Amino acid sequence: MPRVVLRAIGLSHRFGERRALAGVDLVVRPGVLTGLLGPNGAGKTTLMRALLGVIEPDDGQILWQERPVTFADRQRWGYMPQDRGLYPTMPAGAQLTYMARLHGLGRVDAAARARELLDELGLADRWGERTEKLSGGMQQRLQLGAALVHSPDVVVLDEPFAGLDPVAVEDLSVSLRDRVRAGRTVVLSSHQLDLVQDLCEEIVMIDHGRTVLAGAVAQLRASSGRRQLRLGLGPGAPRDWLDRFPAVHLVADQVDAVRLDIPAEVDPLAVLDAARAAGPVTDFGLDLPTLSQLFLTAAERAAQPEVAP
Amino acid sequence: MSGPGWWTGTRLVSGRAIVSGWSSRSWKVVTGLMLMAGLASIIVPRMLSDQTPSYTLATVGQPPAAVQAQLEQVARVGQFEVSFLPAADEQAAIEAVRDGKATIALVGSGAGAVLHVASGTGATFPTLVAQAVLADSTAEALRESGLSPEQIATIQSTPLPAQVPVGRVADEGRAGVGFASGLVLYLALILTGTSIGTAVATEKSTRISEVLLAVLRPTQLLVGTVLGVGVLGLIQVAALAVPAAVGVLSGGGLDVPAESTGDIALAVVWFVLGMVLYAFVFAALASLVEKVTEVGSVTTPVNIVIVGSYLLAVTVTGTSPNSWAAVAGSLFPLSAPLVMPVRWASGLVPTWQLGLSMLLTAGAAVLLALLASRIYARGITRTGRRVRLREALSD
Repeated sequence: MPRVVLRAIGLSHRFGERRALAGVDLVVRPGVLTGLLGPNGAGKTTLMRALLGVIEPDDGQILWQERPVTFADRQRWGYMPQDRGLYPTMPAGAQLTYMARLHGLGRVDAAARARELLDELGLADRWGERTEKLSGGMQQRLQLGAALVHSPDVVVLDEPFAGLDPVAVEDLSVSLRDRVRAGRTVVLSSHQLDLVQDLCEEIVMIDHGRTVLAGAVAQLRASSGRRQLRLGLGPGAPRDWLDRFPAVHLVADQVDAVRLDIPAEVDPLAVLDAARAAGPVTDFGLDLPTLSQLFLTAAERAAQPEVAP
Repeated sequence: MSGPGWWTGTRLVSGRAIVSGWSSRSWKVVTGLMLMAGLASIIVPRMLSDQTPSYTLATVGQPPAAVQAQLEQVARVGQFEVSFLPAADEQAAIEAVRDGKATIALVGSGAGAVLHVASGTGATFPTLVAQAVLADSTAEALRESGLSPEQIATIQSTPLPAQVPVGRVADEGRAGVGFASGLVLYLALILTGTSIGTAVATEKSTRISEVLLAVLRPTQLLVGTVLGVGVLGLIQVAALAVPAAVGVLSGGGLDVPAESTGDIALAVVWFVLGMVLYAFVFAALASLVEKVTEVGSVTTPVNIVIVGSYLLAVTVTGTSPNSWAAVAGSLFPLSAPLVMPVRWASGLVPTWQLGLSMLLTAGAAVLLALLASRIYARGITRTGRRVRLREALSD
């Protein structure tokens, strides 16, 4: 098994006058859950559609196991688009059977595989139910089933958590973790950066069609050189003691808590002591920056014009 | 596991489209209505043809044998029924007319015969009775002048001059079948084209097309959808046309010649040509829209061409099948599928024109299908807004 299964190099694409991808790079390792993160309009969906061959990029290269990807390679991938890619009036079982047949399974094997997947996804009793009659969470699971029906080499999921309630998010997260533990390779996109922070092992952040940050999540957060002090304060507690620490940046200010960005030269314990001196501290902790904060920093850096030497 | 071959994938797409359409309520309703219309086209003419006119002739005593024989013979040829009512006297015969029991009372004979005709009776039956009475009187006069009954029969059996209808077409009945074929083709193209457009736009707006394009090539999706919905359209056409064709071929109260069988078969060929010509265009244009509700506006130009062709077929072509407009319309590929079947049924079209028209239409269909594939492959993958035709063609 190669160290990288899927690689995109310098992908660019335009829709008329609008540039959707501007030389984006992506690396996906086998058996890893990789997050493709970025705000709405960053180019995530376009990148995924290019990877899947739904659109042909204007420039750049896509490699599968370090050689140019082919149509046959892509037929062994699974894809779940952002919006429902399901026939609303088709029964759940027929939906999966149809997808399995499109991927080359015979009629009997396709039906058997569909039953097996519905059972696995907790939808065994919904075989004959029309898709539009299922709840949003069930439809999402069914759609995941459609992407997995042919036991793909890699599963590509576009915004799988969009529109889901917390319970459905947790269910889907568990399902994805289980698959990665079983050796599957999963790529998912999300604009909810903090939601997938604990789910993805590796991430690629893109903004305005460019890669702004990439790597292992834990490594990126630890190597950022930034720490955050979380303080629980009494309601209405003063904040004026912060004036004594001009290098400390207030990241979040809530009614009963603050989150402070602590630079390397400032002792976090000194800040904690100052807070305690000003009033009661109900809770405290030292955190690494969130993916959102890392993204904002990376995006700002990428947006700064290059200075000529 | 790898995907299916080109044809297997295409067949799966078309199969799904057929099953989906077959089980949809709207398709069942439209097909049911077309079947009812087809059945009505057989039943109504039969019902109307069953209403043969009937007349009753009241006479004083038994009707004269020669008059009765002549009227019964004419009734068989003229498709009407005639009966006779012997009355006791002249007054009773006239009373029978007044009471509505008889159409005409024949009183007297020879030059003194009088017909008492019920008001509202047309001129046909009184004329026939008068002719029968006159023939009877003539025969009597000839007998008195010494001619034998055989000689009299020879004189009176002189056949009537043959009648040859002269119209703008060779056969009105055949032309009528041509008109009906044109109407069915028009409805089929509009209904099937709209269904194809809706199917494509639905798959795009629900992003199903993206899932399918990850495993299928755009041409598989396009051809599969067109085939599937096209078959559903063909079934609807059959629901309308087959009962009508059976009615025509079995006589069904309609006066149509044997050539109409060939005309109907030719109309099926034109349906296939017309579908190939227009179906891919409908699909390509529908792939440009973002919402299903936009299909109507984006396919309006095609609908205008189809409606215009149909109007040309039923107006100019119907009245002047060899006018320059009719000839041009039946050769121009975009209008030929609707104009040529109607014009051909006039019986005045040279065979070479039919062949040329089919050849041009088939060629145009291939070119349009290739162009439509290009538009479809680009349109179906662009989401977020309606794609301009120029954009889809330019890059």
